[in-house]
Amino acid sequence: MEKSTETVTWGVRVRNATGSVMLPLMTFVILFAAWELIVRFMDVQAVILPAPSVIFAELFTSFSFYLPHIGVTFYEAMVGFVIGTVLALIGGVVMSQSRLLERMLLPVAVLAHVTPIVVIAPLFMIWFGFGTFPKILVAAIISFFPMLINSTTGFRSVDESNLEYMRSLHASRWEIFFKLSLPGSLPFLFSAARTCISMSVIGAVVGEMSGASKGLGNVVMVSANYLQMDRMFAAIFLLALMGILLTNAVRVVEKRFLAWHSSGH
Amino acid sequence: MSYITIKDVHKRFVRRGQWTEALSNIQLDIEKGSFVSFIGPSGCGKSTLLRIVGGLMEAEEGEIAIGGKSPQELLKAKQFGFVPQSPALFPWRTVLQNMNIPFEVNRQKVFNSEEQGDPISLLKAVGLGDFVHAYPKELSGGMKQRVGIARAFATGAPILLMDEPFSALDEITKEVLMHQLKQIWEEHKKTVLFVTHNIHEAVYLSDKVVVMSARPGRVSRVIDINLERPRDEAVIGTPIFNDYITELRESLRERWG
Ligand SMILES: Nc1ncnc2c1ncn2[C@@H]1O[C@H](COP(=O)(O)OP(=O)(O)OP(=O)(O)O)[C@@H](O)[C@H]1O
Ligand SMILES: [Mg+2]
Repeated sequence: MEKSTETVTWGVRVRNATGSVMLPLMTFVILFAAWELIVRFMDVQAVILPAPSVIFAELFTSFSFYLPHIGVTFYEAMVGFVIGTVLALIGGVVMSQSRLLERMLLPVAVLAHVTPIVVIAPLFMIWFGFGTFPKILVAAIISFFPMLINSTTGFRSVDESNLEYMRSLHASRWEIFFKLSLPGSLPFLFSAARTCISMSVIGAVVGEMSGASKGLGNVVMVSANYLQMDRMFAAIFLLALMGILLTNAVRVVEKRFLAWHSSGH
Repeated sequence: MSYITIKDVHKRFVRRGQWTEALSNIQLDIEKGSFVSFIGPSGCGKSTLLRIVGGLMEAEEGEIAIGGKSPQELLKAKQFGFVPQSPALFPWRTVLQNMNIPFEVNRQKVFNSEEQGDPISLLKAVGLGDFVHAYPKELSGGMKQRVGIARAFATGAPILLMDEPFSALDEITKEVLMHQLKQIWEEHKKTVLFVTHNIHEAVYLSDKVVVMSARPGRVSRVIDINLERPRDEAVIGTPIFNDYITELRESLRERWG
């Protein structure tokens, strides 16, 4: 009995692994193979589109060149993500507690959100120089809004009868927040975090592209200027990989925290 | 001697700019340690009345005193064991963790420790011994209700406000829980306000059955149940028991005709 259930779960796990890792991987292998074949047989010039084999060769042979750039972009994105989401969470708490404050603060947040970040980034460079700070700022701004909206919605979407039960125990405002609103809104917060963390990489790159001497965004810019297509594609590939890995890191944490929630399964 | 005194209570709600009278001119005296059932058609204000007595809602007019104090004062002192109509379980907490909510919250007020029950043995008693560490989504509706009931018992609160706690249970489980409720009540002489749609349940458990009618919600009759205490199942089906059933059924029907 015991054994058979174990086999079943193991089987399910294998199938899940196949579904979530193997299948997408297969698609990518096919895509890269097609790309490789097209480049080879249609004689596409390397300055237009390098073959995947060339890109990966470049990536592996000069990996030590990329490493510090990866580090810089990762650092900017992560610090920006943390600052942006923490501020957004504070904003979400404030806005969920008071409609008046929401009406005052939300327009500012919306304005910051709808203004294209690409046109603000050069301004930050003028104000704050070429260092990492303006990039962190861009990453923070870009990851602020999704978290603000989701956390406000999440903190508000408290189950009425649970709330009433807490009130029947004369729970304080903070007990209600920490024991009910916050855990209840974790699904909202994690779904925002998944968006925010890949947005923060975009923010860091946007910042780097408007003026930097380091970072993968800078590598893309410089290599584009010199038509070093293999290098440019290698950097793009690394950025995509960073986005995927970070989003999945959030997913892993989410699964641990949200075992009780159906989407966490 | 009246313990809970409800005097001229009115409660209105606004809906689409229109006032609806949810409770109209409610007068009621409830003795300390008595078991009172509320029965009446859906929407007649039973839950609303329970909320007002429990200090969760305020009436526009009228007065409520519980042992000379206001419902809010008792609420602050954690004197109510509230079993809401929809079982208030936090989905991220296991059954046992849900049982602990009343003890974790508002800690400076402690429950009467003598009357507190051990959460695990209470869960066993309501047939959930195997689900102590389960999450609410793994429970059926009736199982969730049982957790809510066990939780109210565990706190040892002297006043139980139970809003249709048995509505989602099968007959047999309901009987078992009814006896448990009766036992706990007999042991600790809690004051119980119990909303139900079930006439038999009401007669078997209560000292007093309050019949309510709808639109506006009002008390249409109060029937004292003078069956012997302590009671057991033997009383069910006796002529006097059946007389109460008939009386109750008729006063409920009057309000429909
Ligand atoms: N928060 C509220 N806002 C507006 N109207 C309400 C509110 N709560 C209850 N009502 C109205 O008050 C009336 C009584 O509601 P209540 O929930 O007390 O009925 P009930 O007797 O418990 O019914 P049921 O047996 O279906 O649970 C209903 O007409 C309902 O529409
Ligand atoms: Mg009700």
